[in-house]
Amino acid sequence: MRTADISIALMFFLIGLILIFDSVRIGFQWGVTGPESGLFPFYLGLGLIICSLLTLRTIFVKYKKDGYKKLLMPEGALKSILWVLIPSTGMIVLTEFVGLHIAAGLFLGFYMRAVGKIGWVTTLLVSILVPLSLYIAFDKLFLVPLPQGLWGGMLIPF
Amino acid sequence: MLADLNNLMMGLGIALEPYNLLIACIGLILGIIVGVLPGLGGANGVAILIPVVVTMPATTGVILLSSIYWGALYGGSITSILFNIPGEPWSVATTFDGYPMAKKGRAGFALVLSFLSHAVGAIVGVFLLTFLAPLIAEIALKFGPAEIFSVMMLTFSAFVGLGGKSPVKTVAAILFGFALAAVGMDIVSGQLRITFGSVVLMGGFNFIVAVIGLFGLGEIFLTVEEGLKVEGIVGRVTLKDIVDGFKELLLYPKTLFMGAIIGCWMGITPGGATPASFMSYGFAKESAKNSAEFGHGASAGIIAPEAAAHGAGTSATLPMITLGIPGSPTMAVIMGGLMIFGLTPGPMLFKEHADFVWGLIASCWVGNFIGFFMVMAFAPLFAAVLKVQFSILMPAIVYVCAIGAYAVNNRMIDVYYMMIFGVLGYLFKKLDYPIAPMVLALVLGNMAEQAMRQALIMGQGSPLIFFLPPIALPIMIVALTIFFWPVIAPLKDKLLGKKKA
Repeated sequence: MRTADISIALMFFLIGLILIFDSVRIGFQWGVTGPESGLFPFYLGLGLIICSLLTLRTIFVKYKKDGYKKLLMPEGALKSILWVLIPSTGMIVLTEFVGLHIAAGLFLGFYMRAVGKIGWVTTLLVSILVPLSLYIAFDKLFLVPLPQGLWGGMLIPF
Repeated sequence: MLADLNNLMMGLGIALEPYNLLIACIGLILGIIVGVLPGLGGANGVAILIPVVVTMPATTGVILLSSIYWGALYGGSITSILFNIPGEPWSVATTFDGYPMAKKGRAGFALVLSFLSHAVGAIVGVFLLTFLAPLIAEIALKFGPAEIFSVMMLTFSAFVGLGGKSPVKTVAAILFGFALAAVGMDIVSGQLRITFGSVVLMGGFNFIVAVIGLFGLGEIFLTVEEGLKVEGIVGRVTLKDIVDGFKELLLYPKTLFMGAIIGCWMGITPGGATPASFMSYGFAKESAKNSAEFGHGASAGIIAPEAAAHGAGTSATLPMITLGIPGSPTMAVIMGGLMIFGLTPGPMLFKEHADFVWGLIASCWVGNFIGFFMVMAFAPLFAAVLKVQFSILMPAIVYVCAIGAYAVNNRMIDVYYMMIFGVLGYLFKKLDYPIAPMVLALVLGNMAEQAMRQALIMGQGSPLIFFLPPIALPIMIVALTIFFWPVIAPLKDKLLGKKKA
């Protein structure tokens, strides 16, 4: 918990630095036609840095008092979160190659089998029918084009 | 007043067209399902459908989007009461008393009570919307950049001072949202900012993608972490429940209206439905004579948060259409939809697209009305959605989120952003950084900056322009007071010699 709290505060500090750095580059003062582009981001960055320092101060006071034992997440939760995070990231990477619908079908099937321990018949039915119906709904009916990836166009013949 | 009624009639004519009515019903059904499912909420449910809506006429599209919101407001409480799983953040407070009551075998009664409170909250909210919106729009027509900026200050101050989270963290979240909005092209001068020459960053961050990630995936991670256990209570709404519910509601008129009014207040000064429901629950508990009953199935513990949540939801429309400042994250997404149609929310909308505005207002009446009967009749049916195993629902929800994120701009990078926002959303929730003001800052970033810079130009560089009477000054004073409220409140208590409660 403490580490995560500090990391986010440091992230804001870093973002603040980046903002100030870039604002100074493009100018943050009063230009010929009024305020320059960097004016607003400059103060945003300044504010973020102040906030992150204040947060850091509170963190050190608070955790000294409460102890470091409080965990960010309950025991074993990280595993189940990673079981979602990694396969879904995998789905997105796979989308680059085979398109969203096929990747999602594979993701559905994988998660249902590996985590849900659901029978093969249901798994196959769901992981084929759900992407198929969404494909028909979005790509065909509403004409919202979804990513096809490198080979997706060839893999779906209609 | 009379003119408003005439306009409302005209709007009703639009909202009751068969096609629009059908769309409203579809939206409500989708909304209730979205409300029932954890991980899919009003905000990202609307966000995902935006690409579909673009193919429709503007009024119809916005009726669909707003109907989803009304549906989600109703739907969230079904699972809170029957499963002890809040389908939406704003129905968390309902679980405190709704579930214990359902456990005692009065599930139908609890559902009726909750829906009736929703309906009352909706009526108060829509009433305010109908008669206050034209008035505010009239005043807002006189607003210049300085006034617009001061109203925004008020908006964000409300989050800091009244949001109930750590003020410093709230400010950080707001600034972070603004910073994300600043990435890409500077809308005033066209200069590229914070892109470091990268083409990908030039497009900036789309707030709809952020909403889907923060609310959708973030919520899923939270659900997975807690380990979803579905132990449902069979709830059927009988005629007796309905009669009893009505009678019970009449016993708590004060709780009911206080809830609705707190809700509307929180909807108009942006806070949204979620803090409204908690605040109202707290008030009800404090003011009740039988506060020991709270947490064990007290009727007032259901009435107060539900009326507040729906009041906040509907009245959040008010600042959105009159000032262009959405009152809740879901409204922010709906506003994003409006802008895709080329309709810029704000006072001019009333003048230029009166038919659209009144169609929307009328559809608030119609949608909430139909929604009420829908949940009354089919609550157990919608609850059955949760009987589907979570390991089927979860990947399907991620899939739908990915579709929504991609379709906003047809950019693959947005889907990656969505994942990153998902992780951030989870961490923010855990570490008590509020998400709603961050989303609002991301939405309003460009507008706020533009207003500030135009005002500064008008004031020739002097920031005193923000404190110019008659409009900007009082708003600014209120904003600053609310902003520093966390500092002022203890001081005041000290001065008055009060002890800390």
